[in-house]
Amino acid sequence: MAEEEDAFERLKNLPLRGHHALLGIYTVDNGPDWAELACPFAPGFLMDVESGLVSSGPIISLVDAAAGAAIIARTRQWRGMATLDLHIDYLRPARAGQALHARAHCHHVTRKVAFTRCNVHDGDADRPIASATASFFFMEGA
Amino acid sequence: MIVHAPYARMLGIRTVAGEAGAATLMMPAAPSLEGRAGFLYGGVIASLLELACLEAVAQESGHPRPKPINMSFDFLRGGMMIDSYAQARLVRVGRQVVNIDAICWQTDREKPVAIGRMHLLLD
Repeated sequence: MAEEEDAFERLKNLPLRGHHALLGIYTVDNGPDWAELACPFAPGFLMDVESGLVSSGPIISLVDAAAGAAIIARTRQWRGMATLDLHIDYLRPARAGQALHARAHCHHVTRKVAFTRCNVHDGDADRPIASATASFFFMEGA
Repeated sequence: MIVHAPYARMLGIRTVAGEAGAATLMMPAAPSLEGRAGFLYGGVIASLLELACLEAVAQESGHPRPKPINMSFDFLRGGMMIDSYAQARLVRVGRQVVNIDAICWQTDREKPVAIGRMHLLLD
């Protein structure tokens, strides 16, 4: 029998489906307790075509995905989890046409809960557009 | 109108008649909004809450374009792959800051799927 696949590799190799597919989310890089995910800009991300204002919705969704990936990067376990809460600070507007990048760290895990922090940028990691924290609950039997 | 924004259209969000005074947004379920199998993606539910806040502030504060400062979400139960509703309420409209809260529900408003709180800057 083949050796069990690493949980993060499994995540990276999942066929895109659902909202991840709509946003085109992909993995950029990862480490022992972090993951960086990105998605290309799409015209559907705009709030206003004339001003080029980008909606924060795709940013929130990317943060949710990156935080979940960071937990898998840290735990190397494939467990069902639900987002308990998420807080996002908007630091500056995202620029239309730029890919979004979210790098999340999972800084603590308990038996039932994982805690994450995340920074989002649109091309320059030194000029973040948002920062976020999120906690997740590991679900029984999932 | 928030529902005319390309992003709101991408999620299929529209306005429905709600209680007097507050606009209610409705988002039909679609495969492109799914997270783990059988459930709406958390980020999509959060986005619906945020759009409800922006809609409420646009309608009620008369301010053309308030700037989002931050937003917090609590996810209370899994969102089923059915219609979702969201409504926001201006808690306080200050000279410079607006505090809003919002609720998202599906079949029963008394059993919310998620709640959110948002700060916006008027300047």
